[in-house]
Amino acid sequence: MTLYSFIFYVVAAVIVASTAVAITRRNLVHAVIYLIFSFFGTAMLFYLLGAPLLAVLEVIIYAGAIMVLFLFILMMIRTESHQELMFPLSQWLPAALFGLIYVGVGFLTVATTPGTEITLKMVLATPREFALYVFQRQWFSVEIVSLLLLVALMGALHLGKGEKKNNGEDEV
Amino acid sequence: MTIFWTEDATLLAAILATLLPFVSFVLIMVLTRARPRLSAGLSIVAVTVSLGCALFLLVRHWNLQRPIQYTGRWLASTSVEIPFGFLLDPVSLLMLVVVAGICFLVQVYSLGYMAGDYGFSRYYAFMSLFAWAMLNLTLSPTILQLYIFWELVGLSSYLLIGFWYEKFSATQAGKKAFVMTRAGDVAFFLGLLTVLVHLGNFNILEMNGPQAVAHMSPAILTLSALLVFGGIVGKSAQFPLMTWLPDAMEGPTPVSALLHSATMVAAGVYLFARLFPFFSLSPTAMTVFLAIGTISMLLASTMAMVDRDIKKVWAYSTISQLGFMIMALAAGGYFAGAFHLTTHAGFKALLFLCSGLFIHCHGTNDIYELANHQCRRQRIPTICLLIAAAALSGLPPLSGFFSKEAIMAALAGLSNPVWLAAGLLGVFMTAYYAFRVIFVISFPKPPAKGSESRPDSSASGHDGSHLPPEYCVMAWPLIILALITVLLGFFESPLKHFLVGRLIAGEAHESGALALVPYLALALSVAGVGLAWIEFGRRGAARVGFVERIPPLHKLFAERWYIDDFYRLFVDRVIDRGISTLFYENDNKVIDGGIDGMCKGTVEGGRIVALLNSGMIQYRLLVTFAVMVLLSLYFFF
Amino acid sequence: MIVPFSHVLMLAGILFLLGMFCAVARRNLIMIVLGVEIMLNAASIAFVGASVRWQSLEGQSFVLFILAVAATEVSVGLAIIVYAFRRTGSFDPGAYNILR
Repeated sequence: MTLYSFIFYVVAAVIVASTAVAITRRNLVHAVIYLIFSFFGTAMLFYLLGAPLLAVLEVIIYAGAIMVLFLFILMMIRTESHQELMFPLSQWLPAALFGLIYVGVGFLTVATTPGTEITLKMVLATPREFALYVFQRQWFSVEIVSLLLLVALMGALHLGKGEKKNNGEDEV
Repeated sequence: MTIFWTEDATLLAAILATLLPFVSFVLIMVLTRARPRLSAGLSIVAVTVSLGCALFLLVRHWNLQRPIQYTGRWLASTSVEIPFGFLLDPVSLLMLVVVAGICFLVQVYSLGYMAGDYGFSRYYAFMSLFAWAMLNLTLSPTILQLYIFWELVGLSSYLLIGFWYEKFSATQAGKKAFVMTRAGDVAFFLGLLTVLVHLGNFNILEMNGPQAVAHMSPAILTLSALLVFGGIVGKSAQFPLMTWLPDAMEGPTPVSALLHSATMVAAGVYLFARLFPFFSLSPTAMTVFLAIGTISMLLASTMAMVDRDIKKVWAYSTISQLGFMIMALAAGGYFAGAFHLTTHAGFKALLFLCSGLFIHCHGTNDIYELANHQCRRQRIPTICLLIAAAALSGLPPLSGFFSKEAIMAALAGLSNPVWLAAGLLGVFMTAYYAFRVIFVISFPKPPAKGSESRPDSSASGHDGSHLPPEYCVMAWPLIILALITVLLGFFESPLKHFLVGRLIAGEAHESGALALVPYLALALSVAGVGLAWIEFGRRGAARVGFVERIPPLHKLFAERWYIDDFYRLFVDRVIDRGISTLFYENDNKVIDGGIDGMCKGTVEGGRIVALLNSGMIQYRLLVTFAVMVLLSLYFFF
Repeated sequence: MIVPFSHVLMLAGILFLLGMFCAVARRNLIMIVLGVEIMLNAASIAFVGASVRWQSLEGQSFVLFILAVAATEVSVGLAIIVYAFRRTGSFDPGAYNILR
């Protein structure tokens, strides 16, 4: 059990625990905060697995932008969260059932596929190498993703424009 | 038919004999229902031609060495071939003549007996149907064809027993006869199938030949023999399926004479004789048959000793005599059984026809009332009745004496003396009950103090001197049958040579005690007659049988040994409340319930699926997830 | 040496399950989108692990794109949710069954 594997298991436990807690919170803001913890853990995992740029990007984009967006929406729309019907039986029971089957099958698949018992070796992908790879090899995908972001921007603007002007000016 | 049928006189005679009654049946039912005399004429002409052909065949093939078989292709598959056609060998030719002869005589007699009945044409149609079925049964080459005509004979028996269908008891009796014989026929059919599975086909010649032993193990032989015998038990009214025959006396008396004494119930014994080599292959089965025959014979004799209805006495007697025949055949006496079959047909038909004449003239079945009506004034029936009863008891020199002796000789040849003792007891009881009827009818009670007197009974209008106009046409068959009864016994040797001539060499004389058996049987017959004379015939006799002095015994015999009550209980408890209820509940709860459940399940399933599509997006997500999981399951395995 | 590759995949699987559970079993539109985010995160972990396993940078570059797509989808999704909330006044998906 090397140091790195120990770190891996600890980080994994943190991720799983905080995600599990996040999904059972009645207060949505609490759920988002726990999820931010989870994403921090994921970032550390990425750094451990040799992707420092991705780790940073995870913190900035995922934990920093997306979750904050969630918080903005939650604060803007003041909803009484105790109205929510928590975990109705007709929904969580089939989900748990299929989930368990899925986990079981997944574990079996992973365990029986021949290439999975290989221990991972430590690598590091420096940002320079990573950027060179992305912009040399995957430049087309980058262009498409930028198009996608443009489309999302237009969509969000249109949807957020709201109704007639007589509604007030409190949209994003 | 490979041989062109008009060129071969034998084949032509066989076809005519068996087919003409069917033609007459169809013609009567379709065309001549409204014209009774024409129907009767058609039927009698058909039966006469059949009788002529049967006699022709018998005479022509008197020295038959090997059986003649005519077959045509009927059912053929890759492994099994079932032909149809005719099989002519000694026992079938003899039976053909017996059946055709008795049919002819009974149909002539019915001209008088059923005159004026509104169902006259229907009666002759059913008589022709029966003649067709019975004649074909006699000549069947395969046991399947025999089974088909066996069932047809049962059908015509049902139709004729319930002939006067407005009488409720008649329809009940018809139904009872049909159901009881059907129960035996189920066992028969199972036996047929056993034979088919193991032997490969249904041919009677093959079943009697060496192929049976080659293909069937002893256990299978015993099993199929026992199952086929089940059919014989049903049709020939042996124990335990014997109570339908007394009830079948609800039919007209000529029907009783024809079907239920001489021919139809004899079909069972005929089948036994037919398959005699096949049955002899299994000694266990033969012992069982012997036991069943003995029990039937003894039980029926006891029941006959106490009954007051003349037709029922002769019905019990039929059961008892059939028991005798089965005992003889099961003891290995092939000729004894077949000969007794022939002679019994003669004198039993005569007994019924004479009784029928009395019943027709005086309108009652009860022997005491018949006596009061002075029926012994009618000479011809009385004398014929006496001859027939003497033949039944086995008194010389009538035909019954010779056939009874043959049976006793066959029984004496067995190692266990209990069968012979039972047979001798049966002889005694037969003589006793036969002559009980004779003496009661012939010697009416002397008039009591003023309750009945001679002028009274003579003014009842049914006196001997006022004979009904159809008396002549009813009397001629009686005379012919009486002649046959008297003379047939002397034909024993030629018949024996005809039936079994090649097979059995001259028998050695039995030594010692066995040689006394004929004299012992004769002595017992005379003793039975004597006891009946003492109790019923003497002037000033008490006219009460020794059985009637013991009330519990009398009750037991009169209630038919409670066999009917047992059947009623069995049908009510086990079948109605047990098996029927079980199947009824199964039909309602399991089958209907299952189908209803499937319908309800489909509806409920539809409801659930409709719920999934109700617009709630999380259910759709759930379905997506579930499909993904199932796909992963599929790809894993 | 870190861990066997199967452990990384198992971690990703558990996270995916948790995300699916959140999307399906909470009666709140925002939690559905949150669940999708968790699932995307799980996929990213799997990709990064695979890139270490095969010593290739393709996995990591794909994670980049996943990140971009996640951001897109969240923004548009939340805009829709806000709009829908203005129309019906409830976050409960059970209220959105007009098209049943």
